[in-house]
Amino acid sequence: MFKTGSKLFLGLSGFAAFNLVAYVIFVERLAIGGVALSLVFAALTGLAAIVLLINEGDNERQPRDAALIGASLWPLTTVVGIVLLILGLIVAQIYFILGIVVVLAALAEWLVQAWSESASDDPAHNESARQRLLHPIEFPVIATLGLGVVIFSFSRIMLAISKSAGAVSFIVAASLVLLIGALFALRPALKPALVSGICVIGAVGIVAGGIAGAGIGLRSDLAEAAEEGHYLHRECGVEKSKYFDKKAMKNLSLRSNAAAIVELRDGKLSAIMVGFNTPQQLITASRANPVTFIFRNFDPTERRLVASLGNAMAGAPAAESDGEEADHAGKNETCTQLIPKGAEQALTIKYNKPTIAQTEPFTLTVPGVAGQSIEVLVP
Amino acid sequence: MKVRRLTSRYLGPRSLAASGSLLLLASCATNAPQDTWQPKGPNAKMIDDLQQPVFAVAGIIGIIVAACVGFAIWRYKDRGQPIPEQTHGKPALEVSLTVIPALILAVVGVFTFRAIFDLARTDDTQLVINVTGQQWWWEYDYPVQNEWGITQPIISSGQLVLPIGTKVLLRETSRDVIHSYWIPALNGKRDAVPGRVHTLRLQADAPGIYAGQCTEFCGLSHANMRMEAVALSDADFAKWVANQQAAYQAPAEGTLAKEGESVFLNQCVRCHQVSGLKRADGSLAIAAPDENVWSGAAPNLTKLMTRNTFAGAMFNLLRDACRDDVWRAESAAFGEKYLGGVDESCLNVNDLRAWLRNAPEVKPMYANPALLTDTNGKYRGMPNLGLSESDIDKLVAYLLTLK
Ligand code: HEC
Ligand SMILES: [Cu+2]
Repeated sequence: MFKTGSKLFLGLSGFAAFNLVAYVIFVERLAIGGVALSLVFAALTGLAAIVLLINEGDNERQPRDAALIGASLWPLTTVVGIVLLILGLIVAQIYFILGIVVVLAALAEWLVQAWSESASDDPAHNESARQRLLHPIEFPVIATLGLGVVIFSFSRIMLAISKSAGAVSFIVAASLVLLIGALFALRPALKPALVSGICVIGAVGIVAGGIAGAGIGLRSDLAEAAEEGHYLHRECGVEKSKYFDKKAMKNLSLRSNAAAIVELRDGKLSAIMVGFNTPQQLITASRANPVTFIFRNFDPTERRLVASLGNAMAGAPAAESDGEEADHAGKNETCTQLIPKGAEQALTIKYNKPTIAQTEPFTLTVPGVAGQSIEVLVP
Repeated sequence: MKVRRLTSRYLGPRSLAASGSLLLLASCATNAPQDTWQPKGPNAKMIDDLQQPVFAVAGIIGIIVAACVGFAIWRYKDRGQPIPEQTHGKPALEVSLTVIPALILAVVGVFTFRAIFDLARTDDTQLVINVTGQQWWWEYDYPVQNEWGITQPIISSGQLVLPIGTKVLLRETSRDVIHSYWIPALNGKRDAVPGRVHTLRLQADAPGIYAGQCTEFCGLSHANMRMEAVALSDADFAKWVANQQAAYQAPAEGTLAKEGESVFLNQCVRCHQVSGLKRADGSLAIAAPDENVWSGAAPNLTKLMTRNTFAGAMFNLLRDACRDDVWRAESAAFGEKYLGGVDESCLNVNDLRAWLRNAPEVKPMYANPALLTDTNGKYRGMPNLGLSESDIDKLVAYLLTLK
């Protein structure tokens, strides 16, 4: 009647019951804790009843054959993964993701290993069964990781050295690869040790270069461009920065938040908004909540979108933006960069005061395109 | 209705039994405004048409599986019999047990995908309403849409008013944390996420009130963040729109309401906008919720008494009898009753006064000035303003004019 399994669950149920009583008496007759402990007790009692009913956990009757089970690295790897996972929750998301990958990979390997070990009585056959199943996955994954490291290292080198040195080193590296490849092809009799030696030296060289490159950092013009707000740079006057990327629209997530897409097409400015079937000349934007406008230029000349931020009666700006607010020609406004035909850029603005508080309406305009203005109404 | 704390009175063994029987009772309630099985519009109907057959099929399969498991447990339990012959696999059985569920799922999948895509359509929209969630109430603003007579933005809270038989598109977002908009009778739920605009189709077949609830845990008063969709006939909706845009009428000089207006200017205007309200010097009173409230917004009270609820639809503005009168009205009579708004005889004066006396006591909110270090001194919710009873008298008189 009482086997190991049922004894375990009966013991646990007793322990839960004891806790429940102690909690209610000594801690608090509070809903959540008491209900939770009652549920734990109920669940354990239920399990004990099932185990009793089906006579599970009768280990004398079904001895386990332990002889075939070899040593395994996977339990350890799984634990390392779990530690990474927990660490990631506290420290940084990247460890969390890494943890998930390690845990899943280790569990998969562990599962297959455990399965293969009980596949037959012949360890050699078992090992080959495992390999047949896992090598087609393991090899491509390892190769991809290796390639990734090489490519990443190479990119660090290219970002650190000057543009022309980059071109030269790329040509040299490519020629070396070609030469050595040709050598291998022409001399099939070369010793395997030599071949792999050459490959390892090449890989180590690139990785070492990559580490050095990462240490040096970005070359100066790239660093400067980043500092100038390479991607989300805003200026209303003459462009001062030299390096910014006019076509970049870094914040992909902004696309899903667009209150409106403002298009300049055939000299006309209009707003496209989800839910409205025709282009609009009026945008209603909610108050005190950042709204994003995406500006698309279809005009052959470089254009920018200018958003007037209004003038609250108290004189303070009525809106905030993600860019530099410019007091440009006496106006309180913010702008996208000048962007060429086909490019797009986002502008995020928070209108804190309603339209009725403005002496002039909030507008979106494009300098040089006369008579086209979109009004932003803030209730 | 008063908010009571969960105390030991509610607990003990009785609570378990009670929640069990409640669950049982809830399954056969007739007056359940948030019942997901009672669609009242085409979008919800589409979901219902999917869930009914799936539920039936899944239920039958569930019963069969449970019966098989029970039979196997009982029939083959360990009675000390010898271990039976061990066979490995039975391909025909295994393949059919894989293929049949796969087929069922494939069929369900086809219809599910179709419904998902139909529910995601935005190109057939007839009316757009912006919906913004914040702790712990919903704001609605109606963008200018001349075809509906909306020539200036309308802003409201708590009750979403929409015309029947119209494909309404909500553009949802949030000012603080993630909320979720759900009117079970009209459609599924859709998260309102800060920094994103999500769309949700709504369409109601008949005039009436459809209740809902924020369904993404959003902090202290999540459970009190409710909403109602009010569907009106086209003609009634037009009347509602016209009234929402009507100019502000200041109370007559010398009335209690006029005194209330000046209390409002002193105490309330720093958070609440009443469009058209002027200060004593003739300048427009512009609220600054962005400077006082963490989410940056407080309900616009311009037309407070045209709504039936307040504070995230947690409280009724109408006394119970008047509210029942509106809720239970026949479709044809509903619009007129709803558009009547709230007058003095119907005002739920107790809850409104309690709110003005000490809001955080009746709705849990982070409004203790001593504890606002995380939010730079800004409130989440409405604080206790320490008003005197006579100020409250004046304010109630004033608020009654906002319709
Ligand atoms: C510090 C800002 C603040 C001040 C000052 C303030 N309120 Fe509020 N009020 C709020 C917020 C925030 C809410 C929304 C609370 C909720 O529902 O969770 C609110 C809600 C309300 C509501 C319910 C509105 C609705 O549609 O749901 C009324 C009515 C109200 N306030 C009246 C007043 C009055 C009258 C005063 C002046 C005596 C006042 N409030 C002062 C912030 C404020
Ligand atoms: Cu919420």
